[in-house]
Amino acid sequence: MLSVELPSGENPVPPLRVIALTKWYGEERAIDGVTFSASGGEVVGIIGPNGAGKTTLLETLVGLLPAEAGDVLWHGEPLPASKRRKELFYLPDGVRPYRDEATFQVVSFFAGVYRRSKAEVADTVTSVGLKPVINKRVHALSKGYNRRLLLALALLAPHPVLLMDEPFDGFDLRQTREIADVLRKHAAHGRTFILAVHQLADAERVCDRLILLAGGRIRGSGTLDELRAQASLPAGSLEDIFLALT
Amino acid sequence: MRSPKTYRLRAAPLQPLLAKELREITNGRALWTMLLLLCPLVGYSFFQAVSLYGEASTAALQSPALASSLSPLEGILVPTLGSFYVAVTLLFPFVAIRTLGQEKETGALRLLVQLPYRLSTLVSAKHIAVLAAWCLAFIPALSALVFWRILGGHLAPLETANLLLGHLLYGLLIGALALCSASVAESSATAAIIALAVTIGSWVMDFTVAGSPGLLSWLAQLSLTQTLRPFEQGLLAGGLVLGTACAILGFVALATVWLPPGVPLLVKLRRSAACAAIAALVLGVATQVRSTVDVTEDGRNSFPSADQRLLGTLRLPLRVTVHLAQEDPRYADLQRNVLAKLERAMPSVSVTLARPRQGFLGGSSDESYGEVEYVYDNRSDVSRSTSPREILPLLYALAGISPPEPRPGIEYPGYPLVASADAALYWFFGGLPLAIVLCWRWFRRTTSNSYAREGGPS
Repeated sequence: MLSVELPSGENPVPPLRVIALTKWYGEERAIDGVTFSASGGEVVGIIGPNGAGKTTLLETLVGLLPAEAGDVLWHGEPLPASKRRKELFYLPDGVRPYRDEATFQVVSFFAGVYRRSKAEVADTVTSVGLKPVINKRVHALSKGYNRRLLLALALLAPHPVLLMDEPFDGFDLRQTREIADVLRKHAAHGRTFILAVHQLADAERVCDRLILLAGGRIRGSGTLDELRAQASLPAGSLEDIFLALT
Repeated sequence: MRSPKTYRLRAAPLQPLLAKELREITNGRALWTMLLLLCPLVGYSFFQAVSLYGEASTAALQSPALASSLSPLEGILVPTLGSFYVAVTLLFPFVAIRTLGQEKETGALRLLVQLPYRLSTLVSAKHIAVLAAWCLAFIPALSALVFWRILGGHLAPLETANLLLGHLLYGLLIGALALCSASVAESSATAAIIALAVTIGSWVMDFTVAGSPGLLSWLAQLSLTQTLRPFEQGLLAGGLVLGTACAILGFVALATVWLPPGVPLLVKLRRSAACAAIAALVLGVATQVRSTVDVTEDGRNSFPSADQRLLGTLRLPLRVTVHLAQEDPRYADLQRNVLAKLERAMPSVSVTLARPRQGFLGGSSDESYGEVEYVYDNRSDVSRSTSPREILPLLYALAGISPPEPRPGIEYPGYPLVASADAALYWFFGGLPLAIVLCWRWFRRTTSNSYAREGGPS
């Protein structure tokens, strides 16, 4: 397992708080006053229909898109957009990085930047199942292996909070479970994950807490039981809750 | 599970970043394609230059006076590197744009800007990769110089180094411009259009408004093509080097401003305006730096050394009023043979171009047209000559001093050479392209086979 830089003080208070984050695209409000928090070791899932604003929320949160309003607090202190990359690492969807390079070169680049040891690199490559294609060029990787490469890059980053956009896209059920186990192991060591997930079954399987997003607004948040209560569906599945609240 | 290493923004090592940028630029086809195109371009220019130089040398071998006018700088280096200049202008932007354009298009930029490097470090690493690409692209031109030496040709170290410095600065300028356009534009195609619009626009501006008076003349001075000219003439101009370095840094700064995706447009525009203002200020200072060194072996940009020394002692300002149109060839002669040399030799020289009066049918009706008036220490004289042999005695008379005694020195012998560059054609059209293709293949094969050697998991 990789070493992760945890925030100083071992504070049990949720290290990350997002307050009234708002993002406009021209006349359209893509994110509308989104407020939530994430604790250390927690896996938070952001679920919602297409166009709900999941990707915009993650990119605004990490500082890749400018926000019109709202604050991000790190251990109670404001975290300006220019400094968020010290604490948060975001893995975007639909990226095929450095297409002409071999897979191991891309992995070695990130490992070199973050001063990871060979053992840590080997551990990561093995855990995400990247070994069979390690010598292949990135442009020759299948969608699933490209996703594994991206996951390896994110896991090599030492940030205490990882934000991932559709981390299970391109995986079948067995592969999704394998990767979910990898993420859970990292979370068990104190790392926080915020995942934008399209497939509700995946979200239910992996996440400790869920944030239901639609039209740029939070329609519900909490554990599955808390969401059931919010939706007044005591025996409802996540799909039922999703349809009821969005 | 605390990491023993403290994670800090500035702690990341540069080596992986530089290695990645170098791999990116050598993995792409753009650089190798440019290299392959450069081989015949440079090779044929070199072949033509050697042929013409040989023809001129045939007559010069019979006459020492003719031989002294044969300089390899003008005869071989400038025309051979001229084709390299064209390729750098038209092709090098595509190579440089790739260092950033592909990351933008594949989304990898969103990963890159999260890495623990300053934005300026990211852009600087890319510019270093661009410099490395320029060095690789220079191989055909360098091999032409080696061929010239093998043929028995002469290369003066100072003037050769000065010309290479000029090409290096020009290459870095084009690279920085391309990087800046890649940073501003959303796609590589748009970036290429921006970069080529500036470089080709510079050419057009240079051709159309050069020699025009006033503002147009000043605009022509801003053309990128002006960067190389003094170097090709064998001059090392302090102001030009400072100005070019400032322009390179300005483009790198602009690329840094436009790189991060999370900064609002207005903020980027404000920062760009600040960069442009600082660059304009430094460029303004650079135009005031007059120090120029004549590095030519034949000293073609200077008066004889005794005159240079004596002129340097004339401390009062010399005012020159030229009654010639700027496009008149006599003005070009006067400028090259006398005025430019005077400006370098004397501490204070001001040149005014008097606007000639136009006649009824458009021709000049001014009887003084063609005259050049020299005023020094409240004394003045007029001459129509463009030759220093007549002007210098006139100036000494105005200053009330005797002309210096001509000192016997080492005359520039000239370097005539009749040689055949046929063998060079085999190299530039066969050997070198083949070597480039093999290198390209070697680079790609090394990439795919080296994981085991790096100690990856088996």
